[in-house]
Amino acid sequence: MKLHRLVYVLLILLSVGFLAFLPVEDKLADRLEIGSKAPLTDVEVTDVSGEVLTLEEVAGENGLLVNFSCNTCPWVEAWEDRYNPITKMAEENGIGVIMLNPNAAIRNDGESMDDMQARAKSSNYDFYYALDEQAKLAEAFGATRTPDIFLFNSNMELVYTGAIDDNAKSAEEVDQPYLKNAIQNLVAGKEIDPKTTKALGCTIKWPK
Amino acid sequence: MMKSKQIVLFLCFAVLTAFGSVSESAAQHISDEELLKDTTGEELQEVIRSYQGEKAVLVNVWATWCAPCIEEFPYIVDLKQEYEDELHVVFVSADFPSQRDKALEFLKEQNVDWATFFKTGKDQPFIEALSNDWSGALPFTKVLNKEGKVIASWEQGAEYEKFERYIKKAINN
Repeated sequence: MKLHRLVYVLLILLSVGFLAFLPVEDKLADRLEIGSKAPLTDVEVTDVSGEVLTLEEVAGENGLLVNFSCNTCPWVEAWEDRYNPITKMAEENGIGVIMLNPNAAIRNDGESMDDMQARAKSSNYDFYYALDEQAKLAEAFGATRTPDIFLFNSNMELVYTGAIDDNAKSAEEVDQPYLKNAIQNLVAGKEIDPKTTKALGCTIKWPK
Repeated sequence: MMKSKQIVLFLCFAVLTAFGSVSESAAQHISDEELLKDTTGEELQEVIRSYQGEKAVLVNVWATWCAPCIEEFPYIVDLKQEYEDELHVVFVSADFPSQRDKALEFLKEQNVDWATFFKTGKDQPFIEALSNDWSGALPFTKVLNKEGKVIASWEQGAEYEKFERYIKKAINN
């Protein structure tokens, strides 16, 4: 019995020692995987218009497009000229669109509801732009940056996530319009490829 | 007459010398071209590999517009000095091309006196070349030991203590 206990203790010590040598990856919540259901779809968020919404309500008959965005990120500014055209395309295809602002740590530094309202007005936002007040939705989605795209099908299963396209600075010089292709293929019932992409962006400013 | 010719020649030489060193930081003894070199993800991997067997390496991807990047930048510069013999720091600016001069100016303000890099090309291959665990959010830091093994990597800004903790771990592993 004593020997067993000693073996257990040794095993635990060895495991701890082994873990100490593994690379440390500081990860926030895991990112939603392709095929996963949209989380927190019944959580209420407030749009810049004052309207209170849930993701369930925003979703269209063919799906939902969620973009974690903000007011203070140059990458958002770079891609922003594509926000309205993509919204138009998504909505014409029965996909609801919402942008969520998760930057909870800097609400008093450019990311308040007032700031969001001003941005929506100055940039003529033609979509819901709502406050993810404590970044709970961003956390549940495993979003990491702004902008960060999540496209769901009619069953609210994730079918595409990542970047809008492969050229933030110039809509004219885009080689791969990832999100547009994903929307077209989703409504056409075709395979989406690629399903995940990456792009540079600003880290989400998580609540402290 | 001869004397005045010599004076004119001397003045010309002095002016040319002064202009010749405009692109070189007087305090840092490194040219602007060396201080901020264009790079792709693949080229960057080669740079990182070149330190294998010699020093631990800390890679930090930053941008002038990124507040947490600017906040943590001096910590990394300080730690590079502190662990000079055992650590090399590879800074990579992910600024937009139009912000290149601003990035260069910032490096000089921070007294960076070694070669750093400026990201070129598409985002996705660049991100994938650096780490499969990086989503693309800035800042991004990766710490490798002398053998090139990844000791830690993270997105988001960090404090001095966190950098030092993993630098020590990389040096001692």
